[in-house]
Amino acid sequence: MGGYGDIQCIDENGIRLDGRTAEQMREVEIECGVIPVADGSARVKWGKNEVIAAVYGPMEAHPRKIQRQDRAILDVRYNMAPFSTTDRIRPGFNRRSREISKVTADALESVVDLELYPRSKIRVEIEIICAEAGTRCAGITAASMALADAGIPMSDMVVSVASGKVHDIVVCDLNKEEDNYGEADLPMGILPMTGELVFLQMDGDLNMEQFQQAWDYNMESAKEVHAIMVEALKRRYGGDE
Amino acid sequence: MAIPIVPTLLRESLAALATEDSRIDGRGRFEGRDIEIEVNCLANAEGSCRVRMGDTIVLVGVKFQIMTPYPDRPTQGGLMTSAEVRPVCGPDWEPGPPSAESIELGRVVDRGIRESGCLNMDDLCILPGEKAWQVIVDLFAISDDGNLFDAFALAAIAALSTAIVPAERFDVGEDYPLPLSSTPMMTSYHKVGGRFVYDANKREELGGDERIHITLGDEGHVHSLQKGLRGVFTAAEFTEIMDQAQIRCVELRDIVGKLE
Repeated sequence: MGGYGDIQCIDENGIRLDGRTAEQMREVEIECGVIPVADGSARVKWGKNEVIAAVYGPMEAHPRKIQRQDRAILDVRYNMAPFSTTDRIRPGFNRRSREISKVTADALESVVDLELYPRSKIRVEIEIICAEAGTRCAGITAASMALADAGIPMSDMVVSVASGKVHDIVVCDLNKEEDNYGEADLPMGILPMTGELVFLQMDGDLNMEQFQQAWDYNMESAKEVHAIMVEALKRRYGGDE
Repeated sequence: MAIPIVPTLLRESLAALATEDSRIDGRGRFEGRDIEIEVNCLANAEGSCRVRMGDTIVLVGVKFQIMTPYPDRPTQGGLMTSAEVRPVCGPDWEPGPPSAESIELGRVVDRGIRESGCLNMDDLCILPGEKAWQVIVDLFAISDDGNLFDAFALAAIAALSTAIVPAERFDVGEDYPLPLSSTPMMTSYHKVGGRFVYDANKREELGGDERIHITLGDEGHVHSLQKGLRGVFTAAEFTEIMDQAQIRCVELRDIVGKLE
């Protein structure tokens, strides 16, 4: 969005720069238990994105003023490693990462059974190791996998996916060029069991028809990613369902 | 870093193990953990390496920027090493500006590379007085089960040895491999149960005392030393670990030499 320059992101046959068709998503690989010292962890490779998430806790929340008497709090941090992008990122929190941390916490708090752990804190750390557009979605997905890996009770996992618009064509799962030069981006956080939403953002320009198409793409990709998540948990813990 | 509670029981059991010349995970005194090393693992870095030593995992990414040379060294580029030990890598690490511990990590690794002279700063010149390369080595911990120092140092030199200078992207010529003339290696020794051991894990660090880091060059020359944490040591103890370091550094250099 707001990108300058003239890049042809989709050719006349409807093929995108990375060889996908409009409704295809990038390849997703998920693995749990990648950080031996963490209580729960996951790595999500999503196209060229690589995200790791760790969960520590539940643990005592301090200072006392941040405690909630009736439930636990989720302390979520989203951060991009300095070498994760083409131009090095200066270490430290910025406004973008702070906002993403907050909306991620809001999404995850909607599914975690926080009332089980009054006055405590669960730390969720999301680190973007390699970035190629769609890191917040990969981050939320990785975080919910790490929570599951840590054995934290949840009503459902959160699958986060995005669709958008490039050259007036709605496409599923934007890549870097499409994110830079496209006209809209619609990331959503979906509960795969019920189809409910816990995370929603959008920027750009979509008419109602395009909006519905992007929404439908997201619902479809969420199913695909959910199957991969379930597979990853089964690989680590066994069991059929 | 949160100040960890040191259980007296842990200290006592480490001391008891030491009297039997054994270690908490059954290793010999100067035996390192198994090392896994992978280079070119980060698509957006110009050089990268992932090292796993036991349950300690680190990533190092090398990035390049164009800088204006310092007026007193118009033909030289720069090297910057920065360690980010983010709370993702363990329960004791806290968010916020870099802690003293992570600054020490970055600076000790930096000194080993810089003082060995493996990177000739004159090689980084693009246009004297105007443009030179700044090499940035970012150390990033994924899982801290002790001895981040050695894991970072090993990953840093391996990442540098595979780095490609991105001249085309900055419009200053063709890409070329970063020239490195030698391979400095760091080994670290922790005082655990009253004697020094090599490659301490987190529990040994927690229940141990001081640590000593030694970086040696290709010819066995000493390029950097650092003593950290509370504790005293004798000349005889130092001689012993220096002899061990000479042996271990050759083995480690062999591992890096076999990459690519």
